[in-house]
Amino acid sequence: MAGTRIPPGVFVAALAVVAVAAPLAMPTPFYVDIMIRVALFSFIGVAWNLLGGYAKQLSLGHAAFFGLGAYTSTILEVNYGVSPWIGMLAGGVVAAAASLPIGAMCFRLRGPYFAISTIATAQVLMLLFLKFRGLAWGAEGTTIPNLGDAPLMMQFAAKAAYYYVALALLAVALVVTWLIERSWMGYYLVALGEDEDAAEAVGVNVPRIKRHVFAISAFLTGLAGTFYIQYIYFIDPNTAFSFNISVEAALVSIVGGIGTLWGPVLGTALLEVTSALLQSWLGAGLGGVQLTIYALILMAVILLRPTGLIGLLTDARDRLFGGGKRTKEVVFDG
Amino acid sequence: MADALVVRDLSKRFGGLLAVQSFSFSVAENETMALIGPNGAGKTTSFHLITGYHRPDPGSSVVAFGRELVGLKPHDICAFGLARTFQVARPFGHMTVLANVMTGAFLRGRKLEAARERAREAIAFVGLEARAHTPARDLTTIDQRRLEMARALATEPRLLMFDEVMAGLNPSEIDQAVALIGKLSGRGLTIIIIEHVMRAIMAVASRIVVLDHGQKIAEGEPKEVMSDPDVIRAYLGSGYAAKPAAGEAPC
Repeated sequence: MAGTRIPPGVFVAALAVVAVAAPLAMPTPFYVDIMIRVALFSFIGVAWNLLGGYAKQLSLGHAAFFGLGAYTSTILEVNYGVSPWIGMLAGGVVAAAASLPIGAMCFRLRGPYFAISTIATAQVLMLLFLKFRGLAWGAEGTTIPNLGDAPLMMQFAAKAAYYYVALALLAVALVVTWLIERSWMGYYLVALGEDEDAAEAVGVNVPRIKRHVFAISAFLTGLAGTFYIQYIYFIDPNTAFSFNISVEAALVSIVGGIGTLWGPVLGTALLEVTSALLQSWLGAGLGGVQLTIYALILMAVILLRPTGLIGLLTDARDRLFGGGKRTKEVVFDG
Repeated sequence: MADALVVRDLSKRFGGLLAVQSFSFSVAENETMALIGPNGAGKTTSFHLITGYHRPDPGSSVVAFGRELVGLKPHDICAFGLARTFQVARPFGHMTVLANVMTGAFLRGRKLEAARERAREAIAFVGLEARAHTPARDLTTIDQRRLEMARALATEPRLLMFDEVMAGLNPSEIDQAVALIGKLSGRGLTIIIIEHVMRAIMAVASRIVVLDHGQKIAEGEPKEVMSDPDVIRAYLGSGYAAKPAAGEAPC
């Protein structure tokens, strides 16, 4: 991608200041809640984008890692009193470890067959947690004991604190992506996403690099699972392994701009905010109107701008500042 | 001179079809060899078998620079010093020329700046400097072929395998490609080309191996191979076999 006229450092610093100060400007906790969701799903989207965007391995089963992260930290906390901060890391490790056998199975398939097989793995995990009650509370799930204001146990009285945790997670994922994008690994990921056989021909160990990026993506998604359960104080298999998580992770990246650093953040900002606001304005009374509008926005973005919102923004910038010729798609440069 | 590649009894059966049958040949170091034959003769399949894209049938042996390659993955074979291009160019379309070639260069070192430097050298070698920041999918056919050559070169191979890099090029582009292959050979590389353009083969190859129906039917110096009645029959049909002159080539 071409650099912006404004130095990227300045742009990022300004964005960080706005992101950190934003909760102070919010009139009610309702808006802070929206911001938490934006930060959280941006985070999941950025994690998904490493595998689904750069390497073009369209996973629709990231709920598997979200759920494993969530259950790991919850079991550790509820049964053993371990702080979710530690549990979160453990959850990430469990998710990354699970990505190895899941990858060994699913990466045998390409394209849509890969996507379908990842859906299946998340569903199988959900069923395991539903049916095997001895594993973790079965279908009833469990609530997280409320300790009041206990930062060491990842429980906060102020909603804004949750927002800052999610924001920190997002920052970590963005830095990881930025580092990968600027290293040999970024080139290898984009190359194998373009053409696996041609990538092998220039010495790219495609199976190994897929395994590695899948593990990184799963690790980050596992962290998100812990955070989400801590935020809503409740876990059950349908929540932790929800298919919606998998779909959302992919959608925000596709709408925002697949295989770009900021794409998933932009996509989440648009989708989550519109969906939350529509829901609060229209309520449930009008039966599905808000879902219809949400769907129309999705279709509009995907039809009009297949490169996502990032493509829209770079186009606008090029038109305003008379930059290089208009590119239809995001191109990876040296 | 030592052998760069020794292929013994290379065979591949796809169901009922014997695509390659007991194909044996060897290439000396710094030699340029052409592999020719009618469509469907098994040339590209042989490339796939040598470079690890297909697994040869038991009993086959492919030894490059003294090492057995059968059973290795394509990326291992590339790392060992055998680079190839594809019959239909397969650039990474959404990457620029520079990024494409850098992807190859990372094989010999993961540092970004060093890889960029080596990639620029390879790009300059094939004459694509002006296109360094062009997305690969916007390149013309010859430039895509050049890109594939640069990308293969960036992996610093000892043996290059070109699969019809001249197909679809016009005569002046063919001359450029011939010059490029000559330059590579001048650097000490061993080269195997699959080609139909006879003019180019005559210009670059010191030896020709002819495949038909998966079997080697002739091998030798370009001139003698092209006047071999079996070769003429394979290319043009038996009706032409009686005619002695075969200087101007079947395509």
